[in-house]
Amino acid sequence: MEQLIQVVLSGLATGSIYALAAIGFTLIWQAAQTVNFAQGEFVMLPAFFVLIGINFLGMPLWLAMLFGLALSVLILGVAFKRILVDPLLSHGGLSLIIATMAVAILMKELVKEFYSAEAQPYPALVPQGAWDLSGVIISLQDISHLIICFVVIVGLTLFLDKTKVGRCMQAAAQNAAVAEILGVNVKRMILYTFVVNAVLATLASFLITPVYLAKFSSGEYLGLIAFIAAIVGGFNQVRGALAGGLLIGVLDNITATYITAEYRQAIPLLLLIAVILFKPEGILGKPEGRAV
Amino acid sequence: MTHPLLSVRSVSKRFGNIQAVNDVSFDVQQGEILGLIGPNGSGKSTLFNCLLGQYQPDSGSVALKGSNITGKSPSELNLLGIGRTFQQLSVFPEMTVIDNVILAGQEHSGSMISRLFGSPDAGLTKAAEKLIGFFKISHLRDEPAGSLSYGQQKLLDAAMAFMAEPSLVLLDEPAGGVNLTMLGNLKERLQAFNSEFGTTFVVIEHNMEFVMSLCSRIIVLAEGSVIAEGTPEEIRSNQTVIDAYLGA
Repeated sequence: MEQLIQVVLSGLATGSIYALAAIGFTLIWQAAQTVNFAQGEFVMLPAFFVLIGINFLGMPLWLAMLFGLALSVLILGVAFKRILVDPLLSHGGLSLIIATMAVAILMKELVKEFYSAEAQPYPALVPQGAWDLSGVIISLQDISHLIICFVVIVGLTLFLDKTKVGRCMQAAAQNAAVAEILGVNVKRMILYTFVVNAVLATLASFLITPVYLAKFSSGEYLGLIAFIAAIVGGFNQVRGALAGGLLIGVLDNITATYITAEYRQAIPLLLLIAVILFKPEGILGKPEGRAV
Repeated sequence: MTHPLLSVRSVSKRFGNIQAVNDVSFDVQQGEILGLIGPNGSGKSTLFNCLLGQYQPDSGSVALKGSNITGKSPSELNLLGIGRTFQQLSVFPEMTVIDNVILAGQEHSGSMISRLFGSPDAGLTKAAEKLIGFFKISHLRDEPAGSLSYGQQKLLDAAMAFMAEPSLVLLDEPAGGVNLTMLGNLKERLQAFNSEFGTTFVVIEHNMEFVMSLCSRIIVLAEGSVIAEGTPEEIRSNQTVIDAYLGA
């Protein structure tokens, strides 16, 4: 029993990081009706910004993290939106989706070329250690990951529901034409969405890289898992992406512990197939009508 | 000299070989309910879109209280006090009814910082509640707008149009797809707004009964041009209008 609680808790901790990246998928889908297949690389890259800050600019960790966050917002948020999304969006979602695949390859190759192809050690935010709560061993890292993700996701929800900007972002996503007429600057709201996505990806990067190390290819699996999590939970709902991320995190851990670690990567795919067959809108998603 | 509230002068709009709107001129006086009717393809919607900034007219001008508003964007016109309802449903489906109305009245300008920390509904909740009360949809206050019936969404749409306290409201086929009870309700509410607050309306509508009983003056368009203008009684007995509708 203790082991099961441990496995579930640590699965939730990993799942909450998947959820951060998965929520980015849903936000971008709502705002721009497109899918960012470079999402995994968006999580990989900020870790390298931090390493550049530490190793080449001599910054302390906290400053390097701020530096990484700022660069991510500028490059993965503002520049990505302005240089890639703006010119391509009017040609439909598909060309943009293909362009994001190209961006993913470009980012990986740039890191490999200019930084290193080897996995790089990355400083942990949380000291190693564990608590023993009457037999249940919980690592400090897992607990802090859970708490950080919880705070960020609650903060995001409050931001979207309780601020003028957040409501305008929702309005722009739900009915852009009318929002525009009511005076909402729809283009700016879409930009904010990409910035929020960049911030979420950066946070996911800061949390997961100490576990998996910084490597040019580390975004591949994470991007795929986050994409699956968003579909499983409900691609058009933030809470769906959250649920999908947590579910996959827990299932992944349970499979690895009780069944076999060999097939752990297959489980999310099986779940994906089941959801597409039986509930294509996702566990918490809403069916989307499309006028033909 | 006092200007009419809205003054349309020689507005024309052409799409390829089709002259959708041809040299249309008319005035809308303060406090009036003006109907704009015509057979399908007569240019009503194109004219409406020219007035609302959706299309740029090829020639001609539109003035609000004497100042030129030709070519202004829909959001600029919204700020200038021109409200509108939509033929297609315009609500934000996942927000509640009250949040839809609040959003319609919200100040959308200002810096990101001020808009982050300013309450989204400072003072607006009361006004929004009054409006949904006025349109008799208070009982749906906290329902997601997408779950409302078509007729209820039309009432919500109307409530949203009034949130910015417009002096002129353009209604685009308000009766389309609305059942009779809801229609009577909508008409009565619009008339009440008109008499209580002096709000001016321009209505495009296919439902003759609705237009004739709501409007004080009617303009008839056919093939892009104004073919008749007058009170509902005059229009009812106008041979040119009857011919245009019968395709003679």
